[in-house]
Amino acid sequence: MSGSIGILKKELRSYFYSPIAYVILGVFLFIMGVIFAKFVDIYQHFNSVQRFGGGQGITLDKLATYLYQNMAFILCFVTPFLTMKLYAEEKRQHTFELLFTAPLRKFDLVLGKFLAAYSMMVFMVLVSFIYVFFMILWGNPELPIIGTTYLGLLLALACYVSLGGLISAMTSSQAIAAVWTFIALLLLWLLQSLGQGITAKTGFVEWGPLLVFLSPLGHFNSFSEGLIHVKDIVYFLSFTLITLYFTHCVVESNRWR
Amino acid sequence: MIEVKELTKKYGDRTAINQLNFSVARGEILGFLGQNGAGKTTTMKILTGFMPASSGTASIGGYDVFENPLEVKRKIGYLPETPPIYPELLVTEYLSFVADLRGVPKSEKSKKTDKVIELCNLGDVRRRLIGNLSKGFRQRVGLAQALIHDPEVLILDEPTVGLDPKQVNEARNLIKGLRQEKTVIYSTHILSEVAATCDRIIVIDKGNIVAQEALNTMGATGNLIKTEILVRRIGDNLKQRLSAVSGVKGVNIISNGTHRLVVESEAKEEIMAEVSKVVVESQSGLIRMSPVQQALEEYYLSLITGKGGSLS
Ligand SMILES: Nc1ncnc2c1ncn2[C@@H]1O[C@H](COP(=O)(O)OP(=O)(O)OP(=O)(O)O)[C@@H](O)[C@H]1O
Ligand SMILES: [Mg+2]
Repeated sequence: MSGSIGILKKELRSYFYSPIAYVILGVFLFIMGVIFAKFVDIYQHFNSVQRFGGGQGITLDKLATYLYQNMAFILCFVTPFLTMKLYAEEKRQHTFELLFTAPLRKFDLVLGKFLAAYSMMVFMVLVSFIYVFFMILWGNPELPIIGTTYLGLLLALACYVSLGGLISAMTSSQAIAAVWTFIALLLLWLLQSLGQGITAKTGFVEWGPLLVFLSPLGHFNSFSEGLIHVKDIVYFLSFTLITLYFTHCVVESNRWR
Repeated sequence: MIEVKELTKKYGDRTAINQLNFSVARGEILGFLGQNGAGKTTTMKILTGFMPASSGTASIGGYDVFENPLEVKRKIGYLPETPPIYPELLVTEYLSFVADLRGVPKSEKSKKTDKVIELCNLGDVRRRLIGNLSKGFRQRVGLAQALIHDPEVLILDEPTVGLDPKQVNEARNLIKGLRQEKTVIYSTHILSEVAATCDRIIVIDKGNIVAQEALNTMGATGNLIKTEILVRRIGDNLKQRLSAVSGVKGVNIISNGTHRLVVESEAKEEIMAEVSKVVVESQSGLIRMSPVQQALEEYYLSLITGKGGSLS
C-alpha cells in the first residue's frame, strides 16, 4: 500500500508539471460552459413557448440530465489525455526497471497509477460543479437526482480510466495509446445503439440485450434519472476491477520479454 | 551473499546466458566483464528480479530471487543500463520518490537523500529538472537512486558510462569505498576500471563464463606475468641477480634515457617481493614497479576471441 501511495504522489506531480493537465481542464470547462449556455437557451425558449400555451415545458432536472449525459460523453475525449502516458511512458523511459526491482506488492503499481489518473478526472468533474451551482442559484433543481448523477459519473469515470490504463500498458507510444483509448471508449458507448438494432440469438444468448448491457450508457442513464440499481453499480465496479486486473497481467508480461 | 547456479536465459530460441555458475562473497566487489551482447545485462536483470530466468537458480542473502522476490529486492540497489529517470521531476523529488518505492521510513528520508546527493556530487543540481541534466549527471542521479536505501547488495550496470574522467575516478572511489560494507557486482567493458576497483572478475562471452578469478592472478593462469620496473640507474649485476630469483623467467633491460626493466615471472606475490628486494639492494634507485597492463588486456582479448589464454 505504501508503494502505491508513492506512485500516486509521483504521478500527480507529473500531471501538474506538464501543461497537458491545465490545457485539458481549461478546454473541458470551456466546452461544458458552451453546452451549459446552449441548454439554458433551450430551457428559456421552451418555457417561454409554454407560457404562451404551446408545447411541453422542460424542467430543470431534465436539463441537468442532458448536461450530465453530455459531460459523460465529453469525458471520453478527456480520458485518453490523462491515461495515455501511465504505462507507455514508463516503457519508453526504461523506468519499469526501477519499478519492478523495487519491493512493491502485487497490485501497488496498477493501483497507484489508477488512483492518480482517477483523482485527476474526479477533480475535473468536481470543478464542473460550478454549473450546478448556477442552476441552484437560479432555479431549484432536484438535488438528489444531481447527487445520483454525480455518483454515476464517478463510477463511469473509473471504467474509462481503467480502460485507458490497460491500453497504455499495451504500447510504448503515448499517441497510439490515446487514439486507441478514444476509439475503445467510443465503441463502448456505441454498443448501446448497436445492440438495440440486433435481434440475433445463439442458444440462450441474446446478442442485442447483451451488447446493450455491456455499454456503460444505459447504466449511466439510470443514475441520471435518479435511480440507483445494484446491477449498475456491479457493472461499473466489476468492469473497473477486471480491467485493472488485465492491466496488471499485461504489465507483468512485459518482464517476460 | 550471491549464489548463481546453472542460470540460463533464452530469448525465444536465442540463448543469452548459458548455465552460469558463480558466487560472490559478502563485502566483495565483483567485476563483470564482457563484450557487447555477452549477457551481462541479462544476468543482472535476473539477479534483481526484473525478469525470470529460463532455468537455474539465483539467490541473494539466502533468499531465492524467484521465490522470495520481495526480500531480495529490499536488499538490492540497482542501476540499470539506462538510468531509470523521470525527466519531468526535480532531482530531489525523484530521489524522494525512489525512497518511497524502497520503503525508506519518512523520518530518515531527507537524511538519506542528502547523503546520496553528497556521495554522488549532485549538490549543484538538486533543484533542477532531471530532463535538463547532461548525460553524466543523469548517470549520477541513477547511481544515487541505487544507493538511497543503503542496500546490502549493489548491482550496477556500466555505472561509469558517460562520466567525465574526474567523475569516473570519483565513481570508482565511491565503489571502492563500499568494499567490506556492501557486496557489489558491476559490469563494464573497461578492463583498467576493473583492475582499479574489483577484487575479482568474471569474464563472460556469448553467455558463457570464460574466466573467473581473483584480480591479482588474472592473466596468469599457469602463465607468466610481466612487471615493469623503472629505476634511476642499472645497478651492478642487476640483470643476473634478478634472473637468479627463483620463478623469474626472463629479464629485459630497455635503456633509452630512462631505465626500464621488464621482468617476466610466475604470478606469485613472493616473487614480486623478492624482485623488489633485489632491485633495492642493488642500489638502482627504484622509482616504480607495476604490472604490465598490456598483459591483462591481451589476456582478456585472447579470452573473448577464443584463442586460448596463453601469453607470450
Ligand atoms: N529483449 C530481448 N529480446 C531478445 N534478445 C535479447 C533481448 N535482450 C537481450 N537480448 C540478447 O541477449 C544477448 C545478451 O544481451 P545483454 O543485453 O545481456 O548483453 P550485454 O552483455 O549487457 O551487452 P552490452 O555490453 O552491449 O550492454 C544479446 O545477444 C542480445 O541480443
Ligand atoms: Mg548491457
